Amino acid sequence: MSPRQAPQRVLRLGSHAFEPDRLLVMAIVNRTPDSFYRPGVTWDPAAALERVHQVVAEGADIVDIGGVPARPGDDVDAAEEIRRTIPFITAVRDAYPDVVISVDTWRHEVGRQACAAGADLLNDTWGGWDPRLAEVAAQAGAGIVCSHAGRLPPRTRPFRVAYRDVVDDVLNVTLSLASRALEAGVEHDRILIDPAHDFGKNTWHSLQVTRRLAELAATGWPVLVSVSNKDFVGETLDTPVEDRLAGTLAATTICAWLGARVFRAHHVRENRHVLTMVSAVRGDIPPARAVRGLA
Amino acid sequence: MITNAALCPSPPLLYPGMTGRQAVAPELRAACAEAAGRLVRGEPEEIVVVGPAGTTRTWAPASRLDPSQFAAAMASTGTPGLPLSLGLGAMLLDEAGYRGHRRLQAIGQDEPAGTCIRLGAQLGASQARIALLVMGDGSARRTLKAPGYLDPRAEALDSAVESAIRTGDLDALQQLDPILARELMVTGRPAWQVLSGAIRSSRPKTEILYCDAPFGVGYLVAQVQPA
Repeated sequence: MSPRQAPQRVLRLGSHAFEPDRLLVMAIVNRTPDSFYRPGVTWDPAAALERVHQVVAEGADIVDIGGVPARPGDDVDAAEEIRRTIPFITAVRDAYPDVVISVDTWRHEVGRQACAAGADLLNDTWGGWDPRLAEVAAQAGAGIVCSHAGRLPPRTRPFRVAYRDVVDDVLNVTLSLASRALEAGVEHDRILIDPAHDFGKNTWHSLQVTRRLAELAATGWPVLVSVSNKDFVGETLDTPVEDRLAGTLAATTICAWLGARVFRAHHVRENRHVLTMVSAVRGDIPPARAVRGLA
Repeated sequence: MITNAALCPSPPLLYPGMTGRQAVAPELRAACAEAAGRLVRGEPEEIVVVGPAGTTRTWAPASRLDPSQFAAAMASTGTPGLPLSLGLGAMLLDEAGYRGHRRLQAIGQDEPAGTCIRLGAQLGASQARIALLVMGDGSARRTLKAPGYLDPRAEALDSAVESAIRTGDLDALQQLDPILARELMVTGRPAWQVLSGAIRSSRPKTEILYCDAPFGVGYLVAQVQPA
């Protein structure tokens, strides 16, 4: 029996309406020279567009475009972030009129231009740091991701962060951001919540969030998880960033089983396979080709 | 009077099991155990743990750290709200087998130097033979991979603290700028200034047991013995 407790709703992104049993891959496309995983690999615009072709072919439902790495580093101001992301969003929209485009930003100035260029979703990883981002989503008819970043400012790392109960805090923060987004006028079925693994969390906290993901799903809001190649995987396995795929997929499997619906990932094909397996085990979809013992 | 003092850092990773299957930084653990052990072996009448926290206050001597706030997989034990620095100080005393009188003194992270020094002076004026366990960390901005990322000023500040301790020039600690310390994510500043106020004798004898920043946070373990 599925551990889901609360009825999940349709999730609307762009012109799409995704039923609750549909598990979505959000492909990461970084327009940065210095993100943590394979830094700079899609810094060149042509390489970035090639990456989009590849992830769409591999089954990505959403393309998440970011111009500022999460980790600390050289300052990237709004103008530079716009320069990195907006022309690229335009190019992706031209190439793929239907794919869901997400922009990974905390700044409302960037969000506004991204929506004008064709973005459907504002992925606010830093937990509502800029409260006007929700207003931008509302005005543009876009969706928004409400994340728990442990109240840290953008681009900072956790330092001895402590929680009486990390899941309670995740629920409090993400639900209050979701309420705020609703009040700002974002459509009910275009709001997601994200516990934001590693953000404002140590490895124990991220493992706990994973273990208790069903509590997030039980809220009825669609849950997005972003676990791909993160430090909590690396610290659990004691592996460097280039050797975290198996751990990533294990965490993805568990989150999917416990009710997450959107999976932000570097390895689209592998995540797609995992999610297809979860959906099949759950009974939501049939196997692709079942002849064994049936002929 | 202060008979002996030890300086230790207070990263959560010192707590047993906090780092998972591997106990990282064994040299740091050994140095802290040695520093706390020296305090206990000196048989003071009381050990005062001084540690930075949100506000200045004392905590009940029986208070212990609740590790579940850092690792939910650990049992929720200990005292809700007890500051990390005091919790780890209490743990080091427990691990050293200390059963005597103890006081857990939190010093507010934003207290000006004068307040810290006065608190130290009060401790130093006691008739009893007191040992201090001073919990505090250097900058969390020592390297690119540090929790607070690299700040090029961090190493100089940590070096100045290390030098003050190594040479017994505790007055130098009084000059630490609270604003710069905050910018560099230095948690030890108020506790070190309490130490400076507590030991007013001529240059104490000191020994550095550990000084490194393996995870980008400055850790200093030392013994300070008044002359």
